[in-house]
Amino acid sequence: MDCKTIHKDLIFYLDNELPNERRIIVQKHLDRCTECREFLALLQSEMQIFSDEKNPEVSPFFYTRLSARLEERQEYQPQNQWVRLVQPVIFMLILVIGIYGGLQLGSNASNSTTNQPATRSIQMLDDFEAEPIESFLLEKL
Amino acid sequence: MDELQLIKGIQQGDRKSFQQLVEKYRQLVMNTCFGIVHNRNDAEDLTQDVFLEVFRTAENFRGESQLSTWLYRIATNRSLNFIRNNKRKGFFQSIEEAFAGGRNRSKEISNYQADQPDQKITGQQRKEMLHQAIDKLPEKQRVAFILNKYEELPYQQIAEIMEISLASVESLIHRAKKNLQNQLYECYKKKCI
Ligand SMILES: [Zn+2]
Repeated sequence: MDCKTIHKDLIFYLDNELPNERRIIVQKHLDRCTECREFLALLQSEMQIFSDEKNPEVSPFFYTRLSARLEERQEYQPQNQWVRLVQPVIFMLILVIGIYGGLQLGSNASNSTTNQPATRSIQMLDDFEAEPIESFLLEKL
Repeated sequence: MDELQLIKGIQQGDRKSFQQLVEKYRQLVMNTCFGIVHNRNDAEDLTQDVFLEVFRTAENFRGESQLSTWLYRIATNRSLNFIRNNKRKGFFQSIEEAFAGGRNRSKEISNYQADQPDQKITGQQRKEMLHQAIDKLPEKQRVAFILNKYEELPYQQIAEIMEISLASVESLIHRAKKNLQNQLYECYKKKCI
């Protein structure tokens, strides 16, 4: 029996889950094989970690903290709902004011230019573009 | 007070019933979360989340299964989600680090033994090796194995918690043990533990 087939059974050997016949074969192999015994010891120490780690300590303030979180949640929720309702209303108001303001400005602008021919306003824009901004600032100074 | 009375109390918003339930079951939930996340503080935060969920969704508990079965289910789901989110974060973090020219942390962990071959392996390192091996198990194998090892639950209850057949639980735990053994054998061969 070679080590490869034995080491595949060792975790089940440790947990007493091998059929009797197989268990005896593994036992006999272990009696004369140092390498498999070494691996068995390693497995055993790794499996021991499960029992060592069992029942990690819970902090003494566990319920106090939990209770505070519960309260926070209950207080937070109604406020949250209120915010959820009011927020879109405020956004809508801002949007409507913005659109109205924009329309007002737009209509003022078109009123002031209605008497002028369209080409005139284009020319004005071109003039403005042709004039470098630096010279415009220098003139002011 | 029995389980159903406790739940009825919680359904009516009674804090005393809730406190009793928390005191009775917090170690069970903590154990389960810790088995999956391997960190005491994270496990305690998750345990808190589990009980908040219990308080919030108590009306969904119909009493068809044991209360503990329900708690195990919430605890495993939350812990697995936590791990998944962490992995996602880790993925983006490693991209960030790669761009920033930082060192890759996961490489550091797997190579730390190679950096110090003469040092004796500490208990902490052994634990980390075991945790890494558990984390590499597929999720279902991991959950079945942890419920069996940390909580010593019988296969029948694990089947109820995971909503699978008894035969599936047997097969999952068998494969989990084989996988763990293989991983630990690889480590043994490479002398990393
Ligand atoms: Zn051997």
